[in-house]
Amino acid sequence: MEETKQAYLQEVLETYRMSHIEDLVNKYKSRRDEVKEVLEEKYTGDIYSPINSGSFAKHTAINSKFDLDIAVPFKRDSFKTIEKMFDDVFGFLNAKYKDKATIRKQKVSIGIEFFADKDGDNISLDIVPGRELNKEQYPDDKNMNLYVNSKYGVIEKKTYIQTNIQAQIDHIKAKENERKIIRLLKIWKTSNSEKYKSFLLELLAIKAFEKESISGNLWEKLKAVMQYIQNNVAKEGFTLKDPGNSNNNVVETLETWERDNLSSKMKIIINHIEKNDDKIKLYFPKNSEFDDNDHSSNGSGYGIKGTTIASSIPPNNQRFGN
Amino acid sequence: MLDIGVIKGVISKIPYIKKVISLKKDEFFIYGKIEILFEGLEKPLSFKFQIFPQYPLKSYDSESIRFINKDLLKYNHVMKDGSICIHTSYNTNIRKKLLIDFNSLKSWIEKYYINNDEDKKYEHIIVSPSLIHNKYYSYIFTDVDYKFKKGDYGEVKLSLLANGIYKEANIANYLVKSFSTQNGEKTECYWNKMYKKNPLTDNGFYVFIEKHPAEYNKFAFKKFNKLETYIPSAFLDLLHKFEKYNLKNSKDIIVPMFIGYTTVESEIHWQVALLEIGNFPIKEEYEKKDKILVPIRKLTDQDIKWAITRNASYKYFFGRGTLVTKITNAKILVIGVGAIGSMIAKVLVKGGCRFVDIADYDIKEPENICRSEYLFNTGITDKVYELQQILLTNSPFVEINIFKKEYFEEIIKIFSTDLRDREHFASKLNEYDIIFDCTTDNDLMYVLNLLELNCDLINLSITNHAKELVCAFSPNIDHFVNTQFEKLLDNDIDDLYEPIGCWSPTFKASYADISVLVQMAMKQINLIYEKNKARNNFIIRTEDDNVFTVRIEEY
Repeated sequence: MEETKQAYLQEVLETYRMSHIEDLVNKYKSRRDEVKEVLEEKYTGDIYSPINSGSFAKHTAINSKFDLDIAVPFKRDSFKTIEKMFDDVFGFLNAKYKDKATIRKQKVSIGIEFFADKDGDNISLDIVPGRELNKEQYPDDKNMNLYVNSKYGVIEKKTYIQTNIQAQIDHIKAKENERKIIRLLKIWKTSNSEKYKSFLLELLAIKAFEKESISGNLWEKLKAVMQYIQNNVAKEGFTLKDPGNSNNNVVETLETWERDNLSSKMKIIINHIEKNDDKIKLYFPKNSEFDDNDHSSNGSGYGIKGTTIASSIPPNNQRFGN
Repeated sequence: MLDIGVIKGVISKIPYIKKVISLKKDEFFIYGKIEILFEGLEKPLSFKFQIFPQYPLKSYDSESIRFINKDLLKYNHVMKDGSICIHTSYNTNIRKKLLIDFNSLKSWIEKYYINNDEDKKYEHIIVSPSLIHNKYYSYIFTDVDYKFKKGDYGEVKLSLLANGIYKEANIANYLVKSFSTQNGEKTECYWNKMYKKNPLTDNGFYVFIEKHPAEYNKFAFKKFNKLETYIPSAFLDLLHKFEKYNLKNSKDIIVPMFIGYTTVESEIHWQVALLEIGNFPIKEEYEKKDKILVPIRKLTDQDIKWAITRNASYKYFFGRGTLVTKITNAKILVIGVGAIGSMIAKVLVKGGCRFVDIADYDIKEPENICRSEYLFNTGITDKVYELQQILLTNSPFVEINIFKKEYFEEIIKIFSTDLRDREHFASKLNEYDIIFDCTTDNDLMYVLNLLELNCDLINLSITNHAKELVCAFSPNIDHFVNTQFEKLLDNDIDDLYEPIGCWSPTFKASYADISVLVQMAMKQINLIYEKNKARNNFIIRTEDDNVFTVRIEEY
């Protein structure tokens, strides 16, 4: 049974590989490079080289939902305040792309969602402007202050937050096992519409590997990480240090009841899967678009039990009650 | 039949029964008189008692033994005929039951006669409704946005709610619609729009006297002249004028006179004395004022014919149980009002919800009735219009609006591909706090998922034979429901009900099969809101191999 789950999860990861959408990724990359270029041109002398960040840079992206992030490190004296820096970047991108995309101010970034192209693809990028802490120190310490758009998130009162994107990327470097679990947790999060931040799940998985001796097959590792989350995330005094800023305890972005819910959710998932292997498909579904074993007749990609032969017979997935 | 010897044997051994003055039996009853004396009583207290033939069994919710002393009327729990109101423990052994009942009488004496205890709980005054021309009258009122003061009087507008049978006689039930003060200020009762629109059928008068119109604050006055000191003379003038004006054309017509008073926490209550045109209890007397005789109107000693009144305000109407306020105060939409949806809507309305809108394009056919909330006597109808009426007849405090039938079947599906249209739909649907999707329509489920609504969206459906109920909360609906139905649940689609005449197979399940799941789902949803628990999806599973069992599985 454990082997079945192990094999299934391997297949799940396979269906979410970015390589399945190489053409789309290339479109993203080309848009990303284009935006990087226009930013470098506009802010030449005021910024250091923009860096790729986010899940793509960390190799934890999944192909069902992703965007590309660009961190733009501004020099200390480029703007009087980081709010002005944030507004200026937004104003520039808005003027530049308003006819091609929807531009939105987000919590610490500016979102660019390009209108659908001829293939119907919507490319979206997140631009994260940051300012070095002290003059000319960025090349050495990679520390930045990000502007916090106050209408978002739990850190409403703060207007800025210190971070180190490079340190965040380095934190996950060469951690192949952790990456697989992070990708599975992201698959759970996106397919089950969970609100937990990917960054939080990422740090939880890494901490689980640090604190527990996690081994075995993929299911055993995933289960051990989920058990770690279940046992610890709601505990008083539990911390999740942001590798980009040790003063930032990421678990505090959750309210107490959200921590309790996350803990109980992990317990529920483990129990369901332990009782019935099939339930793993509910929490960690394959991406049906890239599932070679998906033989569903209606193309919905869920491998419906049986097939629908006559048009007038209700499908096997028929719901009732109305 | 009762054995007088047994009664005699038992009561003669009760130590606080000082004397058995008499004990006799007629064809049905046993009558007696006793004297009671125990420590705390200064002198013996005598009671007549009457034992009914069904003793020791109760009848009509009352004990079949009565203890009577008409000198004790002023004490708590003494009825107008002097009987002590006791409710004692159940026992079918006549000897034990006699001991229990006499001990209860002793407890009453200690608590209310010796210690003069006041009850914390307010009790309404005792009114015996009268039959007039073989008919009872009832008046149902609710709260108004007006503070009545002592001496206020004016008109009451009434609407006939229904004629019926009450205690095997006719009854006319009226709804109080509004009060108009002597200054012409009108205040409407807090009923929902439908009841406010009920046609006006009758008029009455009101006077607010503040104090209870009752002897000992508990027995409603018997005679009109007992009200004399409470009622302003201008009100009597008004009644007199009204009677005189209508005497010719409306003789013998019943006119209700509402008498208002304060009960607990400044709440008001109304009792209604029924007046008959041509026989108003008003007399004219002359008094000397500054050596001139002036007519003064007074109330006569005519017997008051009391009507039945009930306070049906939200607090009392739903006093016995509601859903949690986060649900009852929410603006709710139920999409799809078939078996599940009509039950959900009814549970919400009976649970005290104030705003429940409904949407469905479908028609109610006779064969829908057996497992939904629809009625036979309405024939073939649009489900939404019939359900609206059913829900409104269940609660006078709920507003029910109907969504255009095209909205969820056409408009939202056609335009859901456009981002701006989606934002428009989302903003309209976000006006609701909770939306129940009971349509079982996968396409609608998909479209609603696209809208990323901020309100709570709850999706409910069942498997064939009502083996399982699947309840999913936004945002995790689409994936959860699809995976459950496609991969996990054992949904038997071979054994379906196929009606003759058209090919439209449907699931098999009875009203009980479905409602047990729906009620349980509502209990769980109520709990989630009450405890502010995570909106975790759940499945209710049934097993009926040996014993029927139901369990909730949380996801």
